[in-house]
Amino acid sequence: MNVVVCVKQIPDPAAPGALDPQSHTLVREGKLILDDSDAYGVEMGLQLAGDAGEVTLVSMAPNQEVSGVRTALAMGAAKAIVVSDPALKGSDALSTAKVLAKAIERVGADLILAATESTDGYTGTTPVQVAELLGLPSVTFAKKVTVSDGKVRVERQTEAGFDEVECPMPCLVTVTAGVVEPRYPSFKGIMAAKSKPVDQLTVADLGLDASSVGAAGARQEITSVAAAEARGGGDIVVDEGDAHERIVQFLEQLKLV
Amino acid sequence: MEFAEPAEHRALRETVRAVASRFGGAHYAEHARQSAPQEELWRELGKLGFIGINVPSEHGGGGGGLVELAAVAEETAAAGAPLLLLLVSSAISVEVLTRYGTVEQRAEWLPRMATGEAKVVFAITEPDAGSNSHRIATTATLEGDTYVLRGTKYYITGVDEAEALIVVARTGVEEASGQAKLSLFLVDADAPGMRRSAIEVDAMLPETQFELFFDEVHVPADRLIGEQDGGFAQVFHGLNPERITGAALGVGVGRYALERAADYARVRQVWGQPIGAHQAVAHPLAKAKVEVELAALMTAKAAWLHDQGLPAGEASNMAKYAAAEAALAAVEAAIQTHGGNGLSSDYGLVPLWSMARLMRIAPISREMILNYVAQHSLGLPRSY
Ligand SMILES: Cc1cc2nc3c(=O)[nH]c(=O)nc-3n(C[C@H](O)[C@H](O)[C@H](O)COP(=O)(O)OP(=O)(O)OC[C@H]3O[C@@H](n4cnc5c(N)ncnc54)[C@H](O)[C@@H]3O)c2cc1C
Repeated sequence: MNVVVCVKQIPDPAAPGALDPQSHTLVREGKLILDDSDAYGVEMGLQLAGDAGEVTLVSMAPNQEVSGVRTALAMGAAKAIVVSDPALKGSDALSTAKVLAKAIERVGADLILAATESTDGYTGTTPVQVAELLGLPSVTFAKKVTVSDGKVRVERQTEAGFDEVECPMPCLVTVTAGVVEPRYPSFKGIMAAKSKPVDQLTVADLGLDASSVGAAGARQEITSVAAAEARGGGDIVVDEGDAHERIVQFLEQLKLV
Repeated sequence: MEFAEPAEHRALRETVRAVASRFGGAHYAEHARQSAPQEELWRELGKLGFIGINVPSEHGGGGGGLVELAAVAEETAAAGAPLLLLLVSSAISVEVLTRYGTVEQRAEWLPRMATGEAKVVFAITEPDAGSNSHRIATTATLEGDTYVLRGTKYYITGVDEAEALIVVARTGVEEASGQAKLSLFLVDADAPGMRRSAIEVDAMLPETQFELFFDEVHVPADRLIGEQDGGFAQVFHGLNPERITGAALGVGVGRYALERAADYARVRQVWGQPIGAHQAVAHPLAKAKVEVELAALMTAKAAWLHDQGLPAGEASNMAKYAAAEAALAAVEAAIQTHGGNGLSSDYGLVPLWSMARLMRIAPISREMILNYVAQHSLGLPRSY
């Protein structure tokens, strides 16, 4: 089975991030790394593709960036498509989805995997837009994925527990961080990743009109950004014999238990 | 001149760091306190091919060199979890077996050393021949088709974890100079006649050191490594890798200690501002940072020279010296920065000090390195 995994390359979340004062979007210059939340999709893809199939990565990134893609190749993915173009600067989620969908069309996948949302953007809307543009069904929030008889069976995380969903392939599934434990790349994997094919494409290569993507095509605009409220001091529960009950009540209020 | 790191080396460092960070400093400190090897970390890195990164690929290893092995030693230490046996099993033993082992020895040992499954440790030090290997008194005598070993070794690390050890023994005397002719033997860790007794050390280290008594230990002749009497040159082939890996470990310990110290100095306030604002706190950390970075540069150079097959003795010695001093300065400054907490178990810095302090003594002492530099780099008369 051939699996496409959408991977995002993001600035290292451990480093202090910066927002572009004009566009209010995250500055993504310099070295990028594989978004941790995509490592789950890559691992799931590798497990589902098995020995007979292969995993192709699709990534849209500034400046032909491949650092993060190499990480996923080192984990075992076979090849990658990276789309980079100055015209893509300022893309919103839909523009990104258009680009990813066009790139995925070139591969011919039985299954497309993505994370539920990226760690640096958090819109959580791109994957389903990709599915829509490709005319494929999608299942979100998968915490378990199995494949048989041309169908995926997904345990779909909900607030109350999980739904069991079945969906014909090809389709798109977004996976949560709990779906599988991502492997670390082995040294051999790291060395092999050096020579795996990475197809660098532009907007024109994909047959997209530059005016339909990037800042020009964006239908969404960030008008202003405000600092988050400083975190409050928190409530201290002093144990007078009933602390456990009060903590349980508190967690119930938050619907955590 | 090229200082940019290739992408695959960066990936190697990041991966090793990520794996080792899952264990980290607290895990290391706990194991050091209990004299328990970090077996799980070793196994995990072994499975991924990082322990045997310098084993040739035809024997299932990574096919890398000392540049790669040093990166593994540095990054595990930089995650707070230095692995002493990288210096021994992966550096000396792999390098010696690869270069001098027979076809059968390589086929038997290297594949399992490549995966980290088998550890082979190294025994040269003796009670009466520490820094002076010419005085090695353990003898190996060929009797029929076996060598018989008699003598004592001490401070031998990790015999309890090892499947075998490379033993340096005297097989004759150079007539002209009266100096020992040495040979190397691959001896099973459970060889009959070899008794071991753990040495109590107050330094907190995960690995245990042993005194070994060879009471007529019979070693089949096919366990001789390389040529009989050729041991000096062979040992030297392993010692530079050990020093380079030791230097890398020191650099890693230094990085880890400074990271902990800087984190602490940025947030700890006692006079209404972070203690890191006081130069008395900041400068020792900054100075140690400079020393760690300089040691890292020399370590990289030594590893590169070794991998190119160029003379690496001077650079390896200098790197080892610089890294041991830098690691100690860093840990010392980190402990002082933490005040009372510097000595508490919660912060785990004292076990790290043990490791850094060891690096000034072993695998080669600071003084013997200075002797080397005085004699070989400066052309000064040999004093001993
Ligand atoms: C924790 C630990 C692990 C070890 N692991 C191993 C191992 O796995 N295998 C192994 O074979 N050995 C091992 N060793 C031994 C280690 O390599 C030796 O301790 C080290 O080489 C120093 O030798 P020594 O202890 O006999 O000191 P000595 O040679 O007795 O030296 C004592 C002091 O005198 C100084 N000195 C000696 N000669 C001179 C000179 N000519 N000029 C100036 N100063 C001099 C030394 O620098 C040192 O400060 C280990 C030691 C320790 C502490």
